[in-house]
Amino acid sequence: MATSQNELGSVTGLFSDGQDEEQHESYFQLVWQRFRKSRPAIAGGLMVLSLIILAIFAEFFAPVDPTDANLQDSFIPPTKIRLIDADGKLHLRPFVYNQVVTINPKTFEPLWEEDPEQRYDIQFFVKSWEWKILGLISTRYHLFGVAEGGKIHLLGTEKQGRDLWGRACTAGRISLSLSLFATIVSIVVGAVVGIVSGYYGGVIDNVIQRFVEFVASFPQLPLWLALAAIIPRTWDSLQVFIIMVIIFSLLSWTLLAREVRGKVLAFRETDFILAAKEMGASDARIIFLHLFPNSISHIIVVLTLTIPQIILAEAFLSFLGIGIQEPLVSWGFLMRDAQNLQTLGTHTWIMTPVIFIIVAVLGFNFLGDGLRDAADPYSIV
Amino acid sequence: MIGYIARRVGVSIAVVLGIALVSFIVIQLPPGDYADGYKSFLIEQGGATESEAEAQAELFRQRYGLDKPLPLQFLVWIRDMVTKGSFGFSFAYKRDVGELIAERFPRTLLLAVLAHLTSTVVGIVVGILVAPRQYSLADNLAAFAAFVLSALPRFWIALAIMFFLVFTLEQEHVTAFHSPQFVVVPWAFGSLEEISRTWAKLLDLLQHIWPVVVIAGLGGVARNMRVMRGNMLDELNAQYVTTARSKGLTEGQVMRRHAVPNALHPIIMYQGTSLPYMLQGELQASIVMGLPTIGTLLLTSLRNEDIYISASCLLIYGVLLVAGNLIADIALVVLDPRVRFS
Repeated sequence: MATSQNELGSVTGLFSDGQDEEQHESYFQLVWQRFRKSRPAIAGGLMVLSLIILAIFAEFFAPVDPTDANLQDSFIPPTKIRLIDADGKLHLRPFVYNQVVTINPKTFEPLWEEDPEQRYDIQFFVKSWEWKILGLISTRYHLFGVAEGGKIHLLGTEKQGRDLWGRACTAGRISLSLSLFATIVSIVVGAVVGIVSGYYGGVIDNVIQRFVEFVASFPQLPLWLALAAIIPRTWDSLQVFIIMVIIFSLLSWTLLAREVRGKVLAFRETDFILAAKEMGASDARIIFLHLFPNSISHIIVVLTLTIPQIILAEAFLSFLGIGIQEPLVSWGFLMRDAQNLQTLGTHTWIMTPVIFIIVAVLGFNFLGDGLRDAADPYSIV
Repeated sequence: MIGYIARRVGVSIAVVLGIALVSFIVIQLPPGDYADGYKSFLIEQGGATESEAEAQAELFRQRYGLDKPLPLQFLVWIRDMVTKGSFGFSFAYKRDVGELIAERFPRTLLLAVLAHLTSTVVGIVVGILVAPRQYSLADNLAAFAAFVLSALPRFWIALAIMFFLVFTLEQEHVTAFHSPQFVVVPWAFGSLEEISRTWAKLLDLLQHIWPVVVIAGLGGVARNMRVMRGNMLDELNAQYVTTARSKGLTEGQVMRRHAVPNALHPIIMYQGTSLPYMLQGELQASIVMGLPTIGTLLLTSLRNEDIYISASCLLIYGVLLVAGNLIADIALVVLDPRVRFS
């Protein structure tokens, strides 16, 4: 008896407002602790982060101006980075050979070859063409490059002679932001619909759920294809971008609406919601201050898992030349020339922007899987 | 149970009608119609004056009912579909859309069903194989492969396979269902010679469509495998499995008689949701490979503003999805007596 009283005392002592405040971890600290233990999730996060950095500071990572079109440089194969020169001598600083064009004597097609006479060392933080950081601060610095006169195309060039690596970095801006915005719009719609449906219940819930089922039974990709194909050609870039965001979010919100509804249904009967109601809280207050924060972890998980799907769908549409148009470029758009089998056969490297897509999709999927496990830090693994 | 099935069928028909309405509206959204294209064609190519061309375009509209209000056009379209089996008129192909679709629909269905079957069978088998070896090398490899396969854009896989076929294997006629010498060979089983020719034609067909089946099925394999593995792990940790083991059953018997049959139920329910994935894969792969299926028809019709084909193709995809879900639901009810009819 005495011991149990003692324990009780120590337990209540935990909650008494002492001078030395008890260390407690917030929800997000708990999530972070669990998240960082998952190696794939960290790797996924890093993949996504590096793509975002590449996209925002694309010009910094591009040794050649990716907007610089020059038909003379059409379809240059990727520049090989070397350490050992033609004489078999090892160089500590990586270098590239100058690429010169000749005419293939049989097919009369341009043939790019390396000229071992002309060597360019790869330098870091070089000064070359001018660009603006975030479109504001003018600078001439680039991460890497070669000396004046030389050119380096990591992924080769495309039809109009623009550097594919630089363009792929820039394309990330559209691919990532388009899918992010589309997902955010669908998340907002899905969360609102789901919360309303679950919170009010009854007839409203029934009607909304039938509508969600209806929208969910649409054939996604064919409908996206149809909607993107009817965008008038005369619209400017911003209009096309906005309408593409709307098109992609149109059919993506149903999954979230259902999941959020399930969560809200479970929360509706809990004590803290009942307490809030008894204290006379308005519906809006309960929804935004209680239900929404409690579903946010779930929403973030769905966000990271929806983005890669939209990236893939968008890549397919742009690959077909539907939707995103120049001057906007996305990763799928860069591979558009590969539709022609003949072009693809002689210039295999135009398929390489797919690496960016793979990294993005894998990254977001790993991140989403890790977040899903971490989002509920109170469960026991 | 009959009542439940009837109710599900009724709901499905309503959903299909809704999809038809939306498809029709979507296709009518852009300003202008095929008659406008016809008009500018007459002016540019036929040397007609503005008013002459306009009159011709007006005649064209009257002939195909394009001058009527939209709701009426929609009702006529649905009515003809139900009563005559006619899906409207294709302006670009100058044929009835029904014929075009009837020609291509069986191919799409064949590809989708083949992809579905292979992905289900392979996914389930791999799932069963890796589940008892959780976190082993094979399990991790399968998980990694599943992740990478679902991260690759499927149009890109199609490109890569086509590149390989054309430039490495130097196979000709990749963008067709048959090599030219087999196109006119009939599917006949009358005599021995006919059977051997049909057999050769079948092999030729498989040689042409395997990329699409593989591409459409790959993602499905990954998904089915993950679901099946999860189910198996749940079942293998259940108490009745421990009981079965302690009775002295061999591990193989435990798997065959207890774990696998119980783990299969969620997979059936899951089939309805994996169908759209297959259809989208089929769509991407056949567009890239240029196979004449519904997918390529949809794309060309969208580019030509050939409204009735586009709307019909969208509708066909919708019907396939709804039907797939319906079949999965009914199969589950028939196979699992625990499911309640609500």
